[in-house]
Amino acid sequence: MIVCIAVVGHQNNPLYLQSFTEADDALKLHHIVHCSLDVIDERVNNPKKTGPTLNETFLGLLYPTENYKVYGYLTNTKVKFILVTTDLDVRDADVRNFFRRFHSAYVDAVSNPFHVPGKKITSRTFAERVSTIVKSFGLSTAV
Amino acid sequence: MANYLAQFQSIKSSCDHLVISVEDVSDLWHIVKSGFEERLPFKRACLNNKTRNLVYVESLPAEFILTTDIRLRSRFPQELSLFWFREPYATVVLVTCEDLDEFKTILKPRLKLIVQNDEREYFIVFVSKAQPNNDQATKLAKKIYAKLEVDFNSKKRERCCKLDIHGPDANFWEDLDSKIMESIRNTLDRRVQFYEDEIRKLSEQRFMPVWNFCNFFILKESLAFMFEMTHLHEDSLREYDELELCYLETVNATGMKRRDFGGLERGDDQAALVKPDYKPLSQIVQDDSFREFEFRQYLFACQSKLLLKLDRPVEVASRGYSFIISFSKALALHENTLPFCMREVWVITACLALINVTTSHYNDGVLAPDVEKEFYRLQGDLYSLSRVKLMRLAYLIGYGMDIERSPVNSAALSMLPWPKPAVWPSFPPDASNEVLAKEKKILQANTRPKHFGIHRKPLPLEPSLLLREANRRRASLSAGNMFELSPSFAEGLSLDALRTPPPNKIPASSMSRTNSSPGNFEGSLDRPMRISEIHVAAEHALQHTISDPDLWKCLSSVQNFEQKYLDLTKGAADNYHHSWWKRHGVVLDGEIAAVYHKHGNFDLAAKSYEKVCALYSGEGWQDLLAEVLPNLAECQKILNDEAGYLSSCVKLLSLDKGLFLTKERQSFQSEVVRLAHSEMKHPVPLDVSSLITFSGNPGPPLELCDGDPGTLSVTVWSGFPDDITLESLSLTLAATYSADEGVKAITRSTATILNPGKNNIFLALPPQKPGSYVLGVLTGQIGNLRFRSHSFSKGGPADTDDFMSYEKPTRPILKVFKPRPLVDLNAAISSALLMNEPQWIGIIVRPIYYSLKGAVLHIDTGPGLKIVDTHVIEIESYTKVLQTSTQNTVDDRNSVSAATKEFTQLTLNDGKIQLPDWANETTSVLWFPVLASDKRLARGTSSVAPQKQSIVDGMRTIALKLEFGISHNQTFERTVAVHFTDPFHVSTRVADKCKDGALLLQVTLHSQVKATLTILDTWLDLQPGFVHTGHDDGRPSSSILPLIISPSSRAGILFGIRLGSATTGDEAEALEQGSILNIKYAISGNRTIGAHAPVDGESSASEGNELGLLFRSALVLQRPVLDPCLSVGFLPLPSGGLKVGQLISMRWRVERLKDLEEHAVSPDNDEVLYEVNANSENWMLAGRKKGHISLPIKQGSRIVISIICVPLVAGYVHPPQFKLPKVDEANISCNPAGPHLVCVLPPTLSSSFCIPS
Repeated sequence: MIVCIAVVGHQNNPLYLQSFTEADDALKLHHIVHCSLDVIDERVNNPKKTGPTLNETFLGLLYPTENYKVYGYLTNTKVKFILVTTDLDVRDADVRNFFRRFHSAYVDAVSNPFHVPGKKITSRTFAERVSTIVKSFGLSTAV
Repeated sequence: MANYLAQFQSIKSSCDHLVISVEDVSDLWHIVKSGFEERLPFKRACLNNKTRNLVYVESLPAEFILTTDIRLRSRFPQELSLFWFREPYATVVLVTCEDLDEFKTILKPRLKLIVQNDEREYFIVFVSKAQPNNDQATKLAKKIYAKLEVDFNSKKRERCCKLDIHGPDANFWEDLDSKIMESIRNTLDRRVQFYEDEIRKLSEQRFMPVWNFCNFFILKESLAFMFEMTHLHEDSLREYDELELCYLETVNATGMKRRDFGGLERGDDQAALVKPDYKPLSQIVQDDSFREFEFRQYLFACQSKLLLKLDRPVEVASRGYSFIISFSKALALHENTLPFCMREVWVITACLALINVTTSHYNDGVLAPDVEKEFYRLQGDLYSLSRVKLMRLAYLIGYGMDIERSPVNSAALSMLPWPKPAVWPSFPPDASNEVLAKEKKILQANTRPKHFGIHRKPLPLEPSLLLREANRRRASLSAGNMFELSPSFAEGLSLDALRTPPPNKIPASSMSRTNSSPGNFEGSLDRPMRISEIHVAAEHALQHTISDPDLWKCLSSVQNFEQKYLDLTKGAADNYHHSWWKRHGVVLDGEIAAVYHKHGNFDLAAKSYEKVCALYSGEGWQDLLAEVLPNLAECQKILNDEAGYLSSCVKLLSLDKGLFLTKERQSFQSEVVRLAHSEMKHPVPLDVSSLITFSGNPGPPLELCDGDPGTLSVTVWSGFPDDITLESLSLTLAATYSADEGVKAITRSTATILNPGKNNIFLALPPQKPGSYVLGVLTGQIGNLRFRSHSFSKGGPADTDDFMSYEKPTRPILKVFKPRPLVDLNAAISSALLMNEPQWIGIIVRPIYYSLKGAVLHIDTGPGLKIVDTHVIEIESYTKVLQTSTQNTVDDRNSVSAATKEFTQLTLNDGKIQLPDWANETTSVLWFPVLASDKRLARGTSSVAPQKQSIVDGMRTIALKLEFGISHNQTFERTVAVHFTDPFHVSTRVADKCKDGALLLQVTLHSQVKATLTILDTWLDLQPGFVHTGHDDGRPSSSILPLIISPSSRAGILFGIRLGSATTGDEAEALEQGSILNIKYAISGNRTIGAHAPVDGESSASEGNELGLLFRSALVLQRPVLDPCLSVGFLPLPSGGLKVGQLISMRWRVERLKDLEEHAVSPDNDEVLYEVNANSENWMLAGRKKGHISLPIKQGSRIVISIICVPLVAGYVHPPQFKLPKVDEANISCNPAGPHLVCVLPPTLSSSFCIPS
């Protein structure tokens, strides 16, 4: 199950963070997303590690923790998408696909002329679309 | 083969280096031993690795063992092949011989026997004992050695070398080394080949039922061990890696029968990650394989040992971390068979062991920086993993109250499932005291209220309710998942509910469900446990699980737990700080701070909290910041750090509004206000940029002319939840284009109350320099506190998301134009006005796109000009003036109604005039009456000698000063020159001179003004000496009057005059006074053009016209200069000339030329007084020098006067002068005049004259 999806701006500021847990514990997801920026920073700033994936937006698994997984995705404008999931056996292809769809949703959202770049995304349409994508992600892994 | 495991183990432990056997044929070993052993260990040994590539081993330990040694004997042949790795890798045959025959007969056969025995790698060392000076022995030794070489060397390989004990051994040792190395290399290759073949054979049978992993393991490990012995650690490591893969394959292979996992023995909870020989392998063997729990740890331990030998602690850490993760998963699979919380305990010990071993092997600064960072990151990971597990254990035994419910801990713990033992440990029967203690603790523990009265739902530290989970696991044994069926029951038992335990609720609610679990509830065994009981049970179970007394000590009390927790957290944080993962480090610093905070160590807590807050606020993670910042604020408050506390409160206020309740935000504000009004020891400037933002109003900027003040309207957004009073407020304006301009502050000193949200504030703006300005900094005071807000003008309200707002280009809020003419003052008239008459002067007041509201005009007339202040002043629209002047040049201003909007009558006050409002924007003309006075009388000029008139004479100046602008700050000064003139310029000439003495005086009148002049009357007041020819006063005949003179034209009037009788004495006086020409005239002109009727005439126009104006001009008439009445003639002297002493008669004739009736003032008119004067030195006169002579008054009467004179001096001398003293010289015609000089000759010589000497 995807518990959280977040968009982080190029200055590492949160632009959008949606948790999909029932409990009122979004703060811990904030923490997870925030700390996973460390990993992204490390990968981006360490050219040795990112050598072969120079033009790759999908950063792959960021955290090999015991209980949840964090995936990252870096757009060309250095906006990061971070996905936290409690599924422990996730196929990379699924995540890539998810991120691709999410990216297009994000692009649509920030193309809105009323959106101020660098500000939080408050679009309700975007939120609805994201939740659809998240739901379909659950389905595709179930199938 | 598995039986050999024990033996294998002991062999491995006993030998850890290569063996080189020494076949001491000639009993030489004791001689050469020391020399040989000095070579050990071999330096830069050259070996082949598994892939047959050359590898240099820096130091290869080995041992020389005689073949007669017990260690090389007594081996079974089967062992030989299996443990081949321990067999000698080379054989050195030591021989000597001093006799050729002996060599041939004894030594050679024996050697042959030795070397043909097996495939041992051997070589022969011939030791020569010959002394170097003993030539024969040396030669013999050489000979024997040559024989030896012939016999044992092959083409491919040299197997002999020679050692001269007494001789130089320069090359021998190198030769020996290379020989030994060659042998070792060959042996190694052959043995590797052997093992590989064996392993391959075995691998091929892998999927057969007969396959035995132990056999495979022994072969594989033998190979690995051999590599390790030869210091080919890389190859050894590879073997172990392959072994691990292969093992995991067998473990995970489906269809394999279920084996025991292991880990059930005492002490198994302590990870054996770095202890390969923790447990003998023979103990963990099971069937044909090994128990997973021990064996995987064993493999990892071997790998880590090799890695450490390779000096790669970083890899140990990285492999170790992933091993721990994967092994922890394996433990989770077998959790139901393992002791309670075995997994958690194992992970803790594994992490700590790895940390210890890697840090002790880690050399700081040797590795590349990025590897170093990676190492620290892994250390941090290990620390934080063990930390999480420790927290989990602590929670289980009831220390949950002491764990900070922070996002970090919540993220780590709430997503970590509970341990899943088969049965939750049951409550020990004799522990009721402990239960009571725990319960007491639970009741005592009250959540510490946060500062500012912030209430938040605490973050979960548990994946699900422990009470429910534990009881479910217990109940599932007998009663099924009855707690899942009745959630209300579980909730009733939640932590909060425990404080007031509902004794009746349990049976009541359970009674309704008894159908699913009949009768079991009352039994003590399956009674649902209370939370305190669960904790006690877990504690007891853990005590059984944990074998490490140190670890148990950490969990034995809250204090110890906290100490350990702090150690682990610090370890993690410090290591993360050295790595790339700074955020992890800082966040963990926050956890350390929380502990300090709890224990009242506020100083340290504040320092750490500051770092955390800086991190979160720097990147705009407000949600997380909102969690930590109140703690920091509390610490700062306790530490009396007013500045920090204030800024924290301001930061709290400037966070997203949704993050705090209004009540909480109000308490932040009240703290700020309280501090601001308190007496702070060190008042600090307060930065409220995020809280109070401001911008200019939308729309175009305020535009001002240079020097004008204005009012600036600024929008200020307040982020305070309540109204806030600002004691003062000022804004700086920064010029956009000139850097040197600096900033100017505009201040509003009165208190301002800002409402939450948008406020409009007006600021009085003093005059600014030209340029365009943007808003700079907002400063002000709240209480005693100065605050600043740097935020530049923002388009939107402040509450959207003011973090990270990328500054928009600032919009100018004010434009001050460069100085330009704002108004123009000009005289409205183009031609001269009448002198000495009140005249209207028009001043055109032309505003140039600038309002003249409230403008005041100061009028200061120059000398010779004054304002007729009895009269009103008029102002009218300039367009109207233009119309009237174009349509109709005559003065029709009376038609302009004084009441219209654009015509106003004004009065002058102290030389100032206030302009009317309607004239603010339009050009207007101000009319005011002036009188230019010139005391001098106009003088006519003679047309014969025209006199240039100076324009300056008629010039008058008016200094005008217009004060205008919003606060009369603008002034415009101008001096207007106005030309005044007389209406006419008069020139005269005598047109004709009649015979009767009458003169025709022509007076030409030049009109000087651009107005029509009408001469109503004119007369001439003649000076004495002149009289009019008629008996009137010389007025021209009335038929020509009135005479109309058009502008700039001329008119002439003739006056007939004649000379009158004049007393001679008055002549000069009369000249000075002159005659006066009086002209009575009327003027008809437009004031917009020039001269016009005098102002006063306006009121009484009708009579004024009749009366007319009077112009007086002085004319100077001169009587004719020559008017001879008497003629005096000098009668000629005798022709003989004058001689000194000769008497001559000088005669003058006086004749009347005309009657002197008029001049006869004296009674003796007929008598003329004469006088003869002469210089007495020159002349001697005889006769009457002075006397009256009678001369009839009749014209033509004449008389001759003779005087006898004697010249006294010779030369040219003045003759005697004849004068008529009583007659004006002008009346005497002296023509011909007497000679100026006469020539007197010297006297003729005569005796009768004696000149006294």
